[in-house]
Amino acid sequence: MDVALSRNGRRVMRMFFALVVVFLYAPIVILLVFSFNKAAVPAFPLTGFTLRWYHEFLHNGSMRAALETSVIVAAISSVAAVALGILASVALARRGFLGKGLVATLLLSPLVIPFVVLGVALLLLFHILGVSLGLLTVASGHVVITIPYTILVLLPRLEQIDSSLAEAAYDLGAGPFRTFRWVTFPLILPAVLSAWLIAFTTSFDEYPVASFLVGPRLTFPTYLYSALRFPSQLPQVIAVAVIVIMVSLLVIVLAEVLRRRAEARLEGA
Amino acid sequence: METTAGTAAAPTHRRRRRPGLTTPGLLGLPVSWLIVFFVVPIAIVAAYSVDVFVLFPGPHSFTFSAWHSFFSKGIYFPLFFKSVEMSLTVSAVVVVVAYPLAYYLALSGTRRKYVLLLVLIAPFLTSYLLRVLAWKVILGDNGVINTFLFSTGLRAHGHPLSFLLYSRFAVMLVLGYVWLPFVALPIFVTLESLDRGLLEAASDLYASRRQAFLRVTLPLSLPGVVAAFLFVFIPTVGEFVTPSLVGGANGYMYGSQIVDLFEQGFPDWETGAVLSLFLLGVISVLTLVFVRFLRAGEARTA
Repeated sequence: MDVALSRNGRRVMRMFFALVVVFLYAPIVILLVFSFNKAAVPAFPLTGFTLRWYHEFLHNGSMRAALETSVIVAAISSVAAVALGILASVALARRGFLGKGLVATLLLSPLVIPFVVLGVALLLLFHILGVSLGLLTVASGHVVITIPYTILVLLPRLEQIDSSLAEAAYDLGAGPFRTFRWVTFPLILPAVLSAWLIAFTTSFDEYPVASFLVGPRLTFPTYLYSALRFPSQLPQVIAVAVIVIMVSLLVIVLAEVLRRRAEARLEGA
Repeated sequence: METTAGTAAAPTHRRRRRPGLTTPGLLGLPVSWLIVFFVVPIAIVAAYSVDVFVLFPGPHSFTFSAWHSFFSKGIYFPLFFKSVEMSLTVSAVVVVVAYPLAYYLALSGTRRKYVLLLVLIAPFLTSYLLRVLAWKVILGDNGVINTFLFSTGLRAHGHPLSFLLYSRFAVMLVLGYVWLPFVALPIFVTLESLDRGLLEAASDLYASRRQAFLRVTLPLSLPGVVAAFLFVFIPTVGEFVTPSLVGGANGYMYGSQIVDLFEQGFPDWETGAVLSLFLLGVISVLTLVFVRFLRAGEARTA
């Protein structure tokens, strides 16, 4: 007898699971359907197929500029967060030092700060310092948000790999940087890539903190939010929503496939 | 226990010379980043809350007046409890829905459990703002649901279900929708690491499935459940994006108030600072209690 689930229980749960999946994906499907609908207001009945909204999006300069801005912010902040995350994770994984618990708490505490509070706090900081708001102020906030994510991804991987491998490299005369470059780094590479991907997508999508810190150049989420005030922009926003959601779903699936392949290769080695 | 294990392992490590960056060299950048862009800003918020800094320059001195009016004025506190109530409801419902999903994935022995897990979580990894936007399109008076009801004749034209959008209900529905996939994850992880032998032992001892669940599985998965609960509660209680998009006046939350104190026509940074710090305090206490609870659980099982 299966102690966890009866045959009926399994059937009921499978149905429940399927229902929840429908609930989760239905709004996305609805966006998809209405992105091709002729009417400028998303409502039933459907009025016919059009590619007009996608077309308009492609010719909407400010929307494309916002996408570009977000890519820049996400690129800067994700690279910075991963670099800082690697440094911190190596220290946490390989070194014993006084106050380690306190340092770990500090490094992970952005996980639980309400974004509205972080946004406010950084706004006040830049106000007092007299820094004018722009891409870098947004990026600095995103680094704070994403450092804990990178550590949570990198630290378990570093703890998993055998530290005697690095020590063997030292014994063979490699310096610390050569050792990191040729031994440690290749071993944690899959984790570095997932950490970077998480940091990039988080930054790309982040609205609450960015809403306090953007300057005149809007990031994509802050642009979308302001576009929502104009009903005439809604169909275009829906079209771009569909593109963004589809691309991110694709990236997620691709990343998972690649991660599995990399892990299989590392375990085989 | 810990100290003896530490000293036993240490000598072999310590004898080796430690090449490369020193520990301060490794930690210097990440720690100072968080001090400058995280700790100091929060200290500045605290300074604003007691008028050490003020928005409008002029004669001022250290005072608790903003704190005093926060506790005595009678608008902010009720609003805080309203947000807590909404957020608690959302967290509870979402955990109850997610538990069977995680249970099915972890314990039904389905071969595609990681694929199904990805299917479940993927929506969470797509744009937050756009998923909220989708509901705005769906719930409006002339939105997808209402116009569907009109065009199928289920409801007369001009009589939409208007509670759907710009209401507390809308905010809670959308928050639940947004966080549901994520919540299944911690529960799945605890159930997945559950020792199956315990369940078999329970069944060998003539426990029914219900008994095995109530006395073995559920208690052992409790840390995951509590984690899941907090993972929703913490971000939703200070939420302002969803209320501003689908909440209207009824769905106004504590976080929306903070934003308005900083951004609207009549900014009041001192009061906004008090509201922010109070929220941060409540959440820090909750987190500390939770971490203690986890540690205590670990000590008990060890």
